[in-house]
Amino acid sequence: MRTLDPDAWKAFIDGLIKEPDLDVVGVKEKGRRFVFAPLENASELRLDYDVTILPPKKELLPPNEDLLLFDISKPFDVLAAHDERKKVLVGVHPYDLVAINMMDEVYLGTHVDEHYEKRRQNTLIIASDILNIPPKAFCGSLGTHTVESGYDLLVTPLGDRYVVQEGTPAGTELLEKYAESRESSAEDIARVEKLREELPSRYERKLHVDKYKWSEILGENYEHPLWEENARKCLTCGTCTLVCPTCVCYDVSDEVELDLERGKRTRTWDGCLLKEFTLVGSGEIFRETPTNRYRHRYYRKGMYLPMRYGFVACVGCGRCSTQCLADIADPLDVMNVLASSSMDDPKRLPIPEVKVHGVKQQLLVPKAADITHKEQMTDIDTLYKIRLDSGEALGHKPGQFVELSIFGIGEAPISIASSPGPEPEFELLVRKIGDVTSKLDTLNVGDKVGIRGPLGNGFNIEALKGRNLLYIGGGFGLAPLRSLINYSLEHRSDFKRITVLYGCKDPSALLFKNDIDCWGCMEGVEFKATVDECMDDDSWGGNIGVITTLIPEVDIDPDTTMAIVVGPPVMYKYVIRELKQKNLPDENIIVSLERRMKCGVGKCGHCQINGVYVCLEGPVFNYADIKDLPEAF
Amino acid sequence: MKPKVAFFDFSSCEGCQLQVVNLEEKVLDLVDIVEVVSFREAMKEHSDNYDIAIIEGSIMRPMDEERLKKIRHNARILVALGACACIGGVNKLRNKWSVDDVKAEVYGNADLDGNPYFDALPTRAIDEVVAVDAYIPGCPINKNEFSRVVTGLAVGRKPKLPTYPVCVECKKNENVCVFEMGQFCLGPITRAGCDAICPTNGEGCDGCRGFLEDLRVNAMKDVLRHYGVTMDQMMKRFNLYNYKREGY
Repeated sequence: MRTLDPDAWKAFIDGLIKEPDLDVVGVKEKGRRFVFAPLENASELRLDYDVTILPPKKELLPPNEDLLLFDISKPFDVLAAHDERKKVLVGVHPYDLVAINMMDEVYLGTHVDEHYEKRRQNTLIIASDILNIPPKAFCGSLGTHTVESGYDLLVTPLGDRYVVQEGTPAGTELLEKYAESRESSAEDIARVEKLREELPSRYERKLHVDKYKWSEILGENYEHPLWEENARKCLTCGTCTLVCPTCVCYDVSDEVELDLERGKRTRTWDGCLLKEFTLVGSGEIFRETPTNRYRHRYYRKGMYLPMRYGFVACVGCGRCSTQCLADIADPLDVMNVLASSSMDDPKRLPIPEVKVHGVKQQLLVPKAADITHKEQMTDIDTLYKIRLDSGEALGHKPGQFVELSIFGIGEAPISIASSPGPEPEFELLVRKIGDVTSKLDTLNVGDKVGIRGPLGNGFNIEALKGRNLLYIGGGFGLAPLRSLINYSLEHRSDFKRITVLYGCKDPSALLFKNDIDCWGCMEGVEFKATVDECMDDDSWGGNIGVITTLIPEVDIDPDTTMAIVVGPPVMYKYVIRELKQKNLPDENIIVSLERRMKCGVGKCGHCQINGVYVCLEGPVFNYADIKDLPEAF
Repeated sequence: MKPKVAFFDFSSCEGCQLQVVNLEEKVLDLVDIVEVVSFREAMKEHSDNYDIAIIEGSIMRPMDEERLKKIRHNARILVALGACACIGGVNKLRNKWSVDDVKAEVYGNADLDGNPYFDALPTRAIDEVVAVDAYIPGCPINKNEFSRVVTGLAVGRKPKLPTYPVCVECKKNENVCVFEMGQFCLGPITRAGCDAICPTNGEGCDGCRGFLEDLRVNAMKDVLRHYGVTMDQMMKRFNLYNYKREGY
């Protein structure tokens, strides 16, 4: 450890500020509160602060951040926007450092987010020990009042001197280059240790339950009356998520300049308390009630992220409870109440153990592709053939999806409708429903689109081999299903009996008529179609009624049959009930679910079903794995 | 061919059109992508041949209603500009009194019979009279939002307003909450898109962009009561821009 006199400390900070290529961001006053902001001189720095309004996450994942820059007047002109500035953060408290380490897990884990990575690599952190404790904080109960690592330097302001601990070679270099320091004396070190040891007892608010028990307690209290009682007071304004150092979800949108040429794709902070967080293209909002949204935040912090990453995503900083106008956002209050009035209703809310698909390309930069064929299927559905400019095959598995970009409009997840093969073209069935899909409808053969993917986990084909396959497709769900149906027909000998049941609204909504005709007359394939309604009896010779009416007619051997069900959200409950009537075990039912997959790589948070990411663990799931998740069906 | 745009004003202060003029050099980009055929505040010419009609102001007279319906008939896309057009805004405060009382108060005993300029109806927002395709709310509008909506329309994206409250933008600006400064604010129930300009400058939100559809009014009233706001103060603030808005 090194010790600096107050003047030397000031000179150190001023020395950093004077560096033209370095942004020095430290804690300053704002009104009666504190914020991280660019320092103009060392005397602005307030290491005696209690807590800042926003956490330093804003320096690593800014509230508004450019991801891509594009020019829509050219066929395909896109590049990643990167912030190359070097930065030093001064005065980061230990709990915020713990939160940054968590954010690193999310953004630098399985799939590395290049934008975050670049910013992180360009940022040095000078942490500082806590001197003053804000009234709502409870770091002492969580052990986040001190840290062992994660900083480049850690300073302890002792009034008459500053003691600095070196954390990384980069930190040491900074100190050597810009500061006059001496080896700390035993007395200096003892004073630092005393300050840290006394900290926990200085927190007046105590958590009555160990943080590693949160998961268990939440598991027992999904239906606890507290959720609804508090949610009634909730403004659903999103403040608790925005000010939270461990809330890292985001939204993405495209903007075009008034010249209608240059534009950018930006990401902005989003939060699960906001109503449209779970909105999908078809207009469904999966977590619609304030109770569901309010509860989700606690479960994400105390259960879902701990199950996924091994850390409890609350650091006890007290920002949410300080800034919540309705005073219902306090994790300490909620956990203490649950711990003392726990219900005895254990809920299994597991995350299925599946191997997460890997993306070997840049995460957020789409690849250029051409529309090579366009075929109208119904009034609103069009089949597109797409070819990557690289000439390579997409390399997908049945059940996977891509994110399709039209620059200036945005991006939409679309499931792949063709079976895998060596050819460079793949097929997407697109329903004209939102901005991207409506714009796509106006494009023609030869026009460019952007493609990210393949993303998500497809069907586990190995687990289907040697089985009878029962496909049940509702409406638009036939698109992802067709990829697998055609695959199984191309590899016919790998599978036993194949049955396809397909239902849609009326005869005019029938999709893939050529495929249907083909399946209908193929030997060894049983095909049945139904329509919900039919005004003109002449046009339709098949069954009339919802999809479930076809199931009783089918001969199902529960031991050897795998049912693969894809359709609109409302369909699953009824179809699965029919399949259970036929004694089909849960493990023999495979489903594919639709959610708002914005990033496609497990970061943005929109597609979460309880603790499960549809984009990572799904969209294809074994029913047994997710049937107990209250948000799944 | 560039889409033809025409601006029209009804009962309003025309401050929102002034915001468009305030785009300054960006106006040049704007006239690059659209052809402005009518804009009383910025040009002399006028034409009734347009694709996009941008309407400022509320509808308060029978002759306004007639004129608006004609505009709707001519326009492919109709955009409501500003609080008066989008929600009625402060003009709706007039609906507190009967039309006759208002006339008597303003014009006294003047003989106005048969003069259409003084014929009045209760105030209405544009979409209470004709269908509206896009909204640019606010008093005044936010210039950047205006650009976003216009470029959106030009590239073929349905303009969409935020469905979250002003608090979201206020937090991103890292403001000290105005409640902490002893004021009160309708930010938690008001549609964002203004970049929280009032709270960022130390003033509570008046709700000029209109309330969210998902209006958490009971939760809001609890908060206001908690901060010592009286029912009278509350209603005055609620009514300033959102007079008799359903839900509270």
